[in-house]
Amino acid sequence: MSHWAILSGIEANLAAYEAVLEDIKRQVPKVTELYILGDVINASAASEKVVERIRNPRIGELVPQVCKGWWEEQVMMLHGFVPDLEPNPLVEKYGAAGVKALWDSISKETVEWISNLHFAFMEFDCLLVHGSSLSVFEELTPESSPLLLLDRIARSNANRLFCGRSGQTFRYQIKDGSLNSHVLTLDAEEVSQTYNTSDRLGIGVGNVGGTPNIATYTIYSPNTDIVQFRTVRYGKSKGFGKI
Amino acid sequence: MKIAVISCIHGNYEALDAVLRDIDHQKAEKIFCLGDLVGYGPYPSNVVEMVRSLDIPTTQGCWDEDIVEGLNSCECSYPSMLAEKRGRLVHEWTNEHIYPETRAYLAALPKVIKEDNLAFVHGSPQSQHEYLLPELDGFIALERVLSTGADMLFCGHTHVPYVRTLDEGHLRLLVRTGAEVPEAKMREFNAPLKRIVNVGSVGEPRHGRPNATYVIYDTDCDRVTLREVEYDYQKTCAAIIERGLPPIFAWRLAHGLEFAERADDASHLCERGV
Repeated sequence: MSHWAILSGIEANLAAYEAVLEDIKRQVPKVTELYILGDVINASAASEKVVERIRNPRIGELVPQVCKGWWEEQVMMLHGFVPDLEPNPLVEKYGAAGVKALWDSISKETVEWISNLHFAFMEFDCLLVHGSSLSVFEELTPESSPLLLLDRIARSNANRLFCGRSGQTFRYQIKDGSLNSHVLTLDAEEVSQTYNTSDRLGIGVGNVGGTPNIATYTIYSPNTDIVQFRTVRYGKSKGFGKI
Repeated sequence: MKIAVISCIHGNYEALDAVLRDIDHQKAEKIFCLGDLVGYGPYPSNVVEMVRSLDIPTTQGCWDEDIVEGLNSCECSYPSMLAEKRGRLVHEWTNEHIYPETRAYLAALPKVIKEDNLAFVHGSPQSQHEYLLPELDGFIALERVLSTGADMLFCGHTHVPYVRTLDEGHLRLLVRTGAEVPEAKMREFNAPLKRIVNVGSVGEPRHGRPNATYVIYDTDCDRVTLREVEYDYQKTCAAIIERGLPPIFAWRLAHGLEFAERADDASHLCERGV
């Protein structure tokens, strides 16, 4: 039986990542796969230590499967691996100082490692991605339009979409729905059709390193389809518990 | 008020001239154009000049974008491999023959025009290259209209006109968020009636006849009329050959149908960002 731990947004916070790894080790049943949905780094020197930890798991630890996030895409743009966007998201959010900080923080070896990361993972009927099936930049939230969510799930031919961009933990289920369509052309009689949809899930997996002392992540069992959100408290106010 | 919506003129001046005369005859007070002024046909700059001189609000089409940004600015530029192979030849010809001011005009065109409860795009609000085919999943089609905030979305790009009404849209959602709301909340989503109107193609029709197609929308009685206009397409066919364009495009125009232009995958969604 597979049990996945799905993380996003470590954002160079090694203490948060270590705390989550400890929590994963305590899980029963045992976690069999570890996915990290991007934003491993940010524009700080601490990024390198997190990357090193992820790339070199200790004996007995799971080997993380990592895809690109918002920060990794900024590195790709900065180093000319992908075309720049207009306006540049990094400049818009952090200014020229942010661009310099990111350039100075990430080694050539890590840039190379990032360039080989996938955009997303497709396992069973699940898409695991940082933003959405459209882009690492897109933020799906509990307030997103259900039609937009259906579109993003349909794009990947999946039934479940796990994402991390918003940093929130949420389970957004489209239980069922229907819609009538009538098409009139130049030559044919009007053609009517009813579309039905059922049971599609969007899951926000939380954020590991963005909020000091509190990390959130997700446990998912593809065989039972059970989603469990975990909150891990670390640092001075240490503690952990299920939410 | 009657408005006329035209699209996909593709350098076919004869067809444009005939459609403009028909619009005049129909007493339409305003014209909108959904792009693809160039490509395939022999008179790209003349068509652009005519649209500019009439001050017709126009959105940027995929061919217009490709001429500005370079071929295959989007991976979905062509619906099939054969279409891509043929399209490449015409792109190069058009690129060599248009005037610099024509290129500048095409570069400045907006991707979406909004007016009251109407939205105008070339392919879809997502991308000039996305095909809103009539068989596209109804929920995805509805998402495209809702994303514009309009009640009626006018598009082109497929070269086959249709009117699609989407009604009685209903979804039930169960949303659970973080620790604050441990119990999932049931939500209902009801979509109001929306329409997608594909206005066909003035200069490169693919509905099985060589006639130009476009749409008249009467805002007073909320009626959409698909118009089909006969014109001397042989004249354009002759010009295609005379001006050195691949003769296959004259054959296509004469038949009003290009099998290779049918999408390999009707369910394909453009992967390019908004």
